[in-house]
Amino acid sequence: MAHFTCEVVYRGIFQKNLAARICRGIVLSARKAGRWGIAFGRYGDSPQRNGIPAKDFAIVADSQEELEQNMARYEPKEVDVTICVDDTLSKGVESWAWYGLQPINRLTVSGGTVLMTSLQSPAALLKDIHKKEAPYTLALIRAKASFSGLWVYKEDHTEARILGALAKIQPEFLSLDAVCQAIQEAEWGSDLKVASARKAHERLETQPIKITEGNAEIPYAFEKPKWWEMREGVTIPAIPIGKPMEGGKGYVPERNPYFKKYTTRTMRPVIDFDKCVKCTLCWIQCPDSCFDVTPEGLYDANMESCCGCGVCEAVCPAKDCVTMVREDAFEDNASQWEMWRTDKAKYTTWMTDKIHSKEHITRSHGFRFRGQYEEEIKKDLEQGGIEITAGIPGENAAGKK
Amino acid sequence: MAVETKPAGAVADHKEMLISGSEACAEALTLADLDVVTAYPIRPYDTVMQAIAKKIANGHLEAEYIVAEGEHSQFEIVKHASTVGARVFCGSSGVGWMYAMECLTVTPPLRVPMVCMVGNRALDDPGAFGVEHNDALVVRDLGWLLIWVDTAQEMLDTTLLAYRIAEDRRVFLPIAISADGAFLTHSQTICQVPSRALVDKFLPRYDRGDLLLHPDNPITVAPQANEDWVIEIRRQNDEAMKRATAVIDEAYADFRKVMGRGPENPWFEEYMTEDAEIILIGMGTISLPMKVGIRNMRAQGKKVGLIRPRWFRPFPTERLVKALSKASAIGVIDRDYSFGSPFNSGVVANEIRAAMYNADKRPPLLSFICGLGGREVTLEDVAKAADMCYAAAKAGKSDPKTHWLGVRE
Amino acid sequence: MADTAFTNATQILEPFKGVKKVTIEEYFTSGHRTCQGCESALVMKLMVKAAGPRTIVLGSTGCMYVANTTYYTTPWVVPWMHTQLGSSGSAALGTAAGLKALMKKGKMKSEPINVIAFCGDGGGADMGLGAISATLTHKEYNSLILLYDNESYANTDIQLSGSTPYGANTTFSPPGSVKRLIHTRWKKNTAGMLAAGHTECRYVATVCASYAVEMMNKVRKALTIGGPTFIHSLDPCPKGWDYDPMLSHELGELAVETGIFPLYEVENGVVRHYGKTKAIVEGRPRKPVREYLLKQGRFAHFTEEDLGYFQSKVDEMWDKWEIPGVIPFWKERPGAK
Repeated sequence: MAHFTCEVVYRGIFQKNLAARICRGIVLSARKAGRWGIAFGRYGDSPQRNGIPAKDFAIVADSQEELEQNMARYEPKEVDVTICVDDTLSKGVESWAWYGLQPINRLTVSGGTVLMTSLQSPAALLKDIHKKEAPYTLALIRAKASFSGLWVYKEDHTEARILGALAKIQPEFLSLDAVCQAIQEAEWGSDLKVASARKAHERLETQPIKITEGNAEIPYAFEKPKWWEMREGVTIPAIPIGKPMEGGKGYVPERNPYFKKYTTRTMRPVIDFDKCVKCTLCWIQCPDSCFDVTPEGLYDANMESCCGCGVCEAVCPAKDCVTMVREDAFEDNASQWEMWRTDKAKYTTWMTDKIHSKEHITRSHGFRFRGQYEEEIKKDLEQGGIEITAGIPGENAAGKK
Repeated sequence: MAVETKPAGAVADHKEMLISGSEACAEALTLADLDVVTAYPIRPYDTVMQAIAKKIANGHLEAEYIVAEGEHSQFEIVKHASTVGARVFCGSSGVGWMYAMECLTVTPPLRVPMVCMVGNRALDDPGAFGVEHNDALVVRDLGWLLIWVDTAQEMLDTTLLAYRIAEDRRVFLPIAISADGAFLTHSQTICQVPSRALVDKFLPRYDRGDLLLHPDNPITVAPQANEDWVIEIRRQNDEAMKRATAVIDEAYADFRKVMGRGPENPWFEEYMTEDAEIILIGMGTISLPMKVGIRNMRAQGKKVGLIRPRWFRPFPTERLVKALSKASAIGVIDRDYSFGSPFNSGVVANEIRAAMYNADKRPPLLSFICGLGGREVTLEDVAKAADMCYAAAKAGKSDPKTHWLGVRE
Repeated sequence: MADTAFTNATQILEPFKGVKKVTIEEYFTSGHRTCQGCESALVMKLMVKAAGPRTIVLGSTGCMYVANTTYYTTPWVVPWMHTQLGSSGSAALGTAAGLKALMKKGKMKSEPINVIAFCGDGGGADMGLGAISATLTHKEYNSLILLYDNESYANTDIQLSGSTPYGANTTFSPPGSVKRLIHTRWKKNTAGMLAAGHTECRYVATVCASYAVEMMNKVRKALTIGGPTFIHSLDPCPKGWDYDPMLSHELGELAVETGIFPLYEVENGVVRHYGKTKAIVEGRPRKPVREYLLKQGRFAHFTEEDLGYFQSKVDEMWDKWEIPGVIPFWKERPGAK
């Protein structure tokens, strides 16, 4: 193999700097072995938005000529390694309108590797990762997804661990020593990070995946119209007005069919309809108009539209009515209100089970206060486990707890 | 009882008026029942806005007349008025037109049929008010329809034709009518002004159809696009510009029928070209000294003719090439410049060179730059150009060097 | 011809009497490519929810253009058109003038149609300020210009604008080892400036979507009162301000409770503070600015001195200004002769 292509699939903004470090680290590591490389973000993702899946790429080649083949393009057609730094992206990636749902392993070559940071088992992940018409390897680094933001970075060594893992996956391009040297020299480098890279190299778990394994769901796709099929004047039809839900009551908005947005979320709200006081705040404060209004005036978050921001949980005044739960606890986008309406007892069991899974892996996605990341990392190291960061009370803080 | 006689040249259902190019435009706008117009002062075009203000103040025209705080806003305001179905007019000159440039780029893809007058004026710096054509020419790649007129009559007629053509659903592109600053905008000549009844027969209402921005037609106009969409959108504009040719021919034919007058050839004026050995080319009022010069040369036995292009976009390639092929040499006099272009020629010369490239007969082509910043084009300049063309015709080939006429050197 | 004679009337949009009475319909719906927790998207939703279906919206370039319609798609139910970065004023004016001309002349059925043009802080308070100013002098045309302020040029990946707070981290003002604060300008007082400078504009207001019902009612008032109007909305931005998206609502409240962003309206020349701002004017202590600033990554580099300076400038707004939070003229300056 004379060249090596890598993509990093990540949560826009939260992991933008992480992805950049990884891709640059790949090129700089390969440079140690005398190879040429290019690192770039996908232009179509720009400007990135919080949570919306994005991709960066790193391409390494033996010669400049080979490298040129891959330059001045928006994205490679296939990659040797797909690095996924948030395992909820296993459910697929929808980066913009008309993109459709693209499996996490879509660009991975036959026999390539999907390298993921995850605390889930391969079996659990394979419920989400779509089947691929070619075999590949699933490689796992046991870690919580690393979320930061534009200005403050969480130094939890994820980039070092990924680079260490890559040296195990693609040793002919990235030797462990070269990787460690590049990390050492990086402006974000340190001895500790080199140690993390070596540990990750050691501890990497791999599993071959057959073409029969994975999520059988057919991901949705769109076909773009020809130039003469498009209306002139750069004009498209508006979204039609919504309708009442049932019997003239409630309300379901029409939604944009070309961009659903649910692959943006890392967690979703689970609603205890029995606790709801119908204050309307979740519905009115949701920037994405996710909530359908039910005939009896309850609010059901539409799971195709919900992007998991957590504002509903923050503003809800009723204790334990809305709880954000990590996305990998769910296997579909079914309506919670329909479930509740059909069988309230069954729903209560389901809901309770989901909420309690929170204590293992609630995500914090982003900055809340100065010193937060250092605290979290410290706790992680001390406890050897996972820090739970709870939500911050919203408008009616006095009414909670 | 005295019988009322009409002066020679008068036309039925028209009245005669002594008006400048700007005023002629205002007459046409009144007849066209303009809805919204925006004004901003810059010389020399803004006499048209002054004329429109008078028309409104004296009750001849009902329109929303808005004085903007700059040309960018001036053009953006009428762009938006057009999207809700209003018939609009705007205009500028020189750097004012440049200040509106962002709007000028977006109106063709938005398919906004705004009709504008450009009072051609030299671009700053230096600040100068005299005529040059570069201002209007700047938008020649963007999808604008471009036409140059040389008399007040032509200004009036072209304004009416402009609405008919631009607002045709097959076209829906903005149009700039160029009128040489001072020479046309400010000079008054006798014009035949049609009646409202005649104009109503010729000019239909503006109907934006399925592109109308209105609550009864919910649309999103100009969503953001990427590499998956842009080239298709551009292709649509390409097609619209191509369709404009047939629409232009149709509109002029209808104009002649309704008004009882008008040019047979919309695309360019031919003056003494039937047997011409040398054909000179110039746009706008440069045609006037050129015609005088040609008559003088004819008296000396020199068979010189003139082609004055009206439509610059769409460029009437085939027709022009056919008309030029019969000449022994061609001389293009540009009232514009294009520094660093092939042969450092003017814009028109390079376009005609390109048009002639594949022609079976390619006479020698000489390029001249003259009359910049309002400098008069003299009979000596015209004679010199013609003589150089004769030399090239004799030699059988053209000197590609561009000649600057009338420069103190 | 026309069904009814043209009167230049506006729609009569009554204020919502509480959150339960709010319109249920969505005129800006799901499926836009905005950040999680995007408060500006919430503003769009509430703005047209308040305005209703007989509305035309013009959106100038910025996050609420690009993110909402990326790529070649739309979440808008009402008619919507893009306009240029500095053109919100012109778009409002042109649209209103076009409709008026056609209705007056009987070329279009006469009815009051809301015209709303929105802009960001970059497009509105920087580039397009002149055009907005011009439009606010045209009392014969009804329109609302809504400026959504996320305190940066957000769509181009966060650059500072004239509305970016002192010292904030942006890609044009990164805190470095030699220059810690590149951006030391104080935020423009846009709403106050426009209210003071355009005496025939009948309505200027500041809003925050954290107080959704009040925000919508200000939009309704602006659309009902007639003539050109202006609303300035402060929108916490998870991307540019660097915070967990679920804090969007809380940060909006804190901006008001610290006195950093005052809530007021100027209706026919009368200034009225409202909401938590009214309480501040009546004596309730403001929360310290650090409570708001240190929840955002864009101020993580702030020293105590920076926080102190910021606090002093906010204190001035309330303790020294002729009209607190609105008009920054002092009765007298200590030491000045």
